Amino acid sequence: MITTPDLIESLVARAEPVRRLRPPLARAAAWLLFAGLMLVLMVAIKGLRPDLELSLRQPGFAIDVGAALATGILAAVAAFVVSLPDRSRLWLWLPVPALLVWIVNIGHSCLTAWVDLQPGMHLGDETGCVAALVMTGAPLALTLLIMLRHTALFDPTPVAVAGGLAVAGITASLLPLFHNHDASVLILVWNLGIAALLTAAAGAFGRRMFTWVAPR
Amino acid sequence: MPSSPSSAGPALSVVKESAESSETRDPARRGDRTLDWSICMARAQEGDREAYRRLLEEITPYLRSLAARLIRDRSDVEDAVQDALLSVHAVRHTYDPMRPFGPWLVAIARRRFVDGLRRRGRAAARETPLEAEHETFAAPETNFQEAASDGRAVREALAGLPPGQREAIRMLKLEEMSLKEAAAASGMSVAALKVATYRGLKNLRKIFGKQGTQT
Repeated sequence: MITTPDLIESLVARAEPVRRLRPPLARAAAWLLFAGLMLVLMVAIKGLRPDLELSLRQPGFAIDVGAALATGILAAVAAFVVSLPDRSRLWLWLPVPALLVWIVNIGHSCLTAWVDLQPGMHLGDETGCVAALVMTGAPLALTLLIMLRHTALFDPTPVAVAGGLAVAGITASLLPLFHNHDASVLILVWNLGIAALLTAAAGAFGRRMFTWVAPR
Repeated sequence: MPSSPSSAGPALSVVKESAESSETRDPARRGDRTLDWSICMARAQEGDREAYRRLLEEITPYLRSLAARLIRDRSDVEDAVQDALLSVHAVRHTYDPMRPFGPWLVAIARRRFVDGLRRRGRAAARETPLEAEHETFAAPETNFQEAASDGRAVREALAGLPPGQREAIRMLKLEEMSLKEAAAASGMSVAALKVATYRGLKNLRKIFGKQGTQT
């Protein structure tokens, strides 16, 4: 085993100047800007859905998009703040109110539009939706993973959960804008389901993923 | 074991006591020190090696006292301290000089110590230390029967290899010669030796793989 003074010497020898991280809010904003660019790109490729204005007038749909977006933004801020070792874990609660609004809104839509939910409804259409979801979500998740990689060495799991929620919220709010689907309750439920799945996966595999890109 | 708890006990308490007297009992001084550390880290981030060395040397006893409170085994304490130093080095760009240095350091160190404890706990659950009562006889040779039969199996497998591969493995792996020495002794080129060793090991693996599936 190397002795501690020797270790210190070797670390000192490797002490190149480093660029300090920018404040977490600025970094979160940078990531959200990237998400915005993704939106522009997706809209340029697929085009906004023609009935967007009409859909946004339906309160259930508008609240869904708004709450998902707020959840995503606040979760991103929480992830960037908590990824620093000396910040309070209480920041993790930041996206919770928006998340609750999102969930309650979907629950409400489900109850009021129960009759619209027919069993076995066009599940075949969902494959295109999955592809769009992956195309939007994967670059966002990868960027976030790399931007937060320093967290691997202290406490990756809460950061991964917040990060997963951020990606889920952003994609869930972007997709209905250009994806050509009716604003059926099914879509809303489906979005939230994906969000839950993504966040759970981030919690379960976050540590491993961060270790994979960790600084050495 | 060189570091039984009884031998570690007094030494630990010395470390702890001195740490407490300098760190926790004198908050004014602690404040000064962390301000000092904060400046050192800020300069280290800009590449000032002297400041970085001073910082690492000064935080080491502090980390040691912190680790000693969590970890009982003294040799593990030093491991944990080194782990924490490596982590501090790896994430030194996350320190914001506008904020106090102490909480940043303690958060990283604590996380590394707890991770280390967990890792050692897992290893301890899987491994059983080989102790005196596991030996059949006092003489050491009597406990090497397994090794002896393994050696025979390897020799038999080696005998089945083509001569070039056998020689390459014998010289490079069993007699631990360097590539240059083996090349001089056998007259084969280094590249040929490498290829022969690679093929030989592959064949051996095949032979033992077959035996493994048979038994």
